[in-house]
Amino acid sequence: MSDKGGSKIMTTREAVSRFVKDGDSLITGNYNESMPISLIYEIIRQRKKGMTYYSQSGSFDAEFLVYGGCVEKMVSAFLYKWGGKGRGGIIEQYQRKGQLLIEDYSNFTYNARLAAGAYGYSYMPVLPAIMDSDVFKYSSFMGDKKFGTTTCPFTGKTIPVVPAANPDVCMLHVQRADQFGNAQHWGGLGSTVHACLASRTILVTCEEIVEPDVIRSSPHHTIVPGFRVSAVIEEPFGCHPFELVGYRGLDTAMFSLMNQAFKADGGLTAFFDEWIYNLPDRNAYIKHYIEVFGQEMLNRYNARSYYSAPANYGIPFQSGWDVDGISNDLGVDMEGLEKLIEEKGDVIDVN
Amino acid sequence: MLTKKVTRQELLIIAAARQIQNGDVTILGIGLPIIAGAVAKKTHAPEAVLMMESGICDFEPRILPMHVADASATRGYGYAIDLFSVFTTITHAGYLDKAFLGVGQIDRFGNINTSYLGTPPDAQRITAAGGAPEFYAYAKQSILTMKGGEFVEKLPYLTSPGFLGGGDEREASGRYTPGSGPAVLLTPKGIFKFDKETKEMYLDTLFPGSTVERVKADIPWDLKVADQLGVFPVPTDEEIIALREFSPRSSFSSPVAVQLVFENFKRRIAAQKAAGRAN
Repeated sequence: MSDKGGSKIMTTREAVSRFVKDGDSLITGNYNESMPISLIYEIIRQRKKGMTYYSQSGSFDAEFLVYGGCVEKMVSAFLYKWGGKGRGGIIEQYQRKGQLLIEDYSNFTYNARLAAGAYGYSYMPVLPAIMDSDVFKYSSFMGDKKFGTTTCPFTGKTIPVVPAANPDVCMLHVQRADQFGNAQHWGGLGSTVHACLASRTILVTCEEIVEPDVIRSSPHHTIVPGFRVSAVIEEPFGCHPFELVGYRGLDTAMFSLMNQAFKADGGLTAFFDEWIYNLPDRNAYIKHYIEVFGQEMLNRYNARSYYSAPANYGIPFQSGWDVDGISNDLGVDMEGLEKLIEEKGDVIDVN
Repeated sequence: MLTKKVTRQELLIIAAARQIQNGDVTILGIGLPIIAGAVAKKTHAPEAVLMMESGICDFEPRILPMHVADASATRGYGYAIDLFSVFTTITHAGYLDKAFLGVGQIDRFGNINTSYLGTPPDAQRITAAGGAPEFYAYAKQSILTMKGGEFVEKLPYLTSPGFLGGGDEREASGRYTPGSGPAVLLTPKGIFKFDKETKEMYLDTLFPGSTVERVKADIPWDLKVADQLGVFPVPTDEEIIALREFSPRSSFSSPVAVQLVFENFKRRIAAQKAAGRAN
């Protein structure tokens, strides 16, 4: 980030080419709800290389980044097995061939690394039972820096600790943001906030860019402040086929198609050509979806609204002066204040 | 009362649902646990506080979620927090009554592997740790479910510690919530419990169609069997209806369900295209 302040609105292509570099470490916040798939497909299209992917609960996002040749290392707590038991996932195949290194944590210890990174600590205590788990015992590329132990100065107990993680780039998709990057998300939060705040650069796609006053009247939904965000992209369907609370459900029709692609020989290569490489952007992706599945199928997943009760942030006085222009504290108008200053103020000569 | 036909998958779900008591603060994972939670909440445990580890607390299961942050679970829920808070302020602080955990491999003392079927990195993967190690350590009680997993003499990889070497080893380590650990293991063949002293697993109840010999055939050690076998829970119509209203696909085994769903989408797309041409 060079410039401070001002609009950060750009396209997905521009954001990825400006802010994502070969060799970077990359993180997506959530579990799967609101997964920033449009940004992930763009990274694959731009053929980024040598990346480390922090993935708490990986699904096809992780499988695709590996299959697309972008990722060489992963920090992970869970991976859904696309491809089923027999064939196994892409990640499993690459790991067993030695083409991918994975550091396995539990969800909590993974998240604790991000919390440390977000708070600016060098490490974070974790819960002691992990010391009996092989998650604690085995390590990959982190060697003996995956876990450590320390002694509590107050109880004398041994406490396992994890090192802080500060990924280079965090990507997220949210319901709405303003042009400055104040990003609002509601729904399952997972480790999204820690993932964002631990990262050096944050890229946000959103369904809608809204006026700043929408944000200011609902700050409890803001999960990352604009001053931390580098790019804001208005990208409807930016997490498709994953779902977004208030907009649409998980597209099980597309999931079913992907399931077949993972299972068939050469299915994934064909899927990449059809759905990633041959489509320049998310608009083209949605057009293609409609060609293949039909508009009706897309509409089936639209959310039926269920609005949050508005929270009243109102206050009695909008400034130190009431509606009649009288000071709430002093009981005088502006002219009266000036008189009071002359009478009682410690007036000094500044000329 | 039961008048409906019931599948093996449904029976297992109902057995799991009966493990939840009214008012239990319960963490649910994807698959069988969430369906069990939905049935319990609709029938005998309407005040159970159901949670998923993404920070969705006190939710109403409506539709089978595909993952633990699924939007379908956030249409009306009581407490929105994040994962870190679920593990610290609720679980480690001692407020989690029950955790449901899926099992890949299990040994006689309830230690669980969900990571690798061998030594990493060369071994076949399962799904990895997820939230299991900490939920298993700090929930007051854990309910284990195993479909398609296996019993082993020695785990190639210990993801989530159970009773460790048995006896009071877990308790004596001081690393766990006192009194915590597996209460029960449910498999398609029956219900297993753990001896109060030795902490060794034993067969408690057989499901219909199963025998002690068939259960023992899956188990590489000499499995102990309760002196008097328990009676499996016969589902009621109310439970079966609650289950089918929540997730119609869950009456089937997973491969059959996946195929049925795929065929449904093929039919839908074909019908839509035919309608398009007719216009």
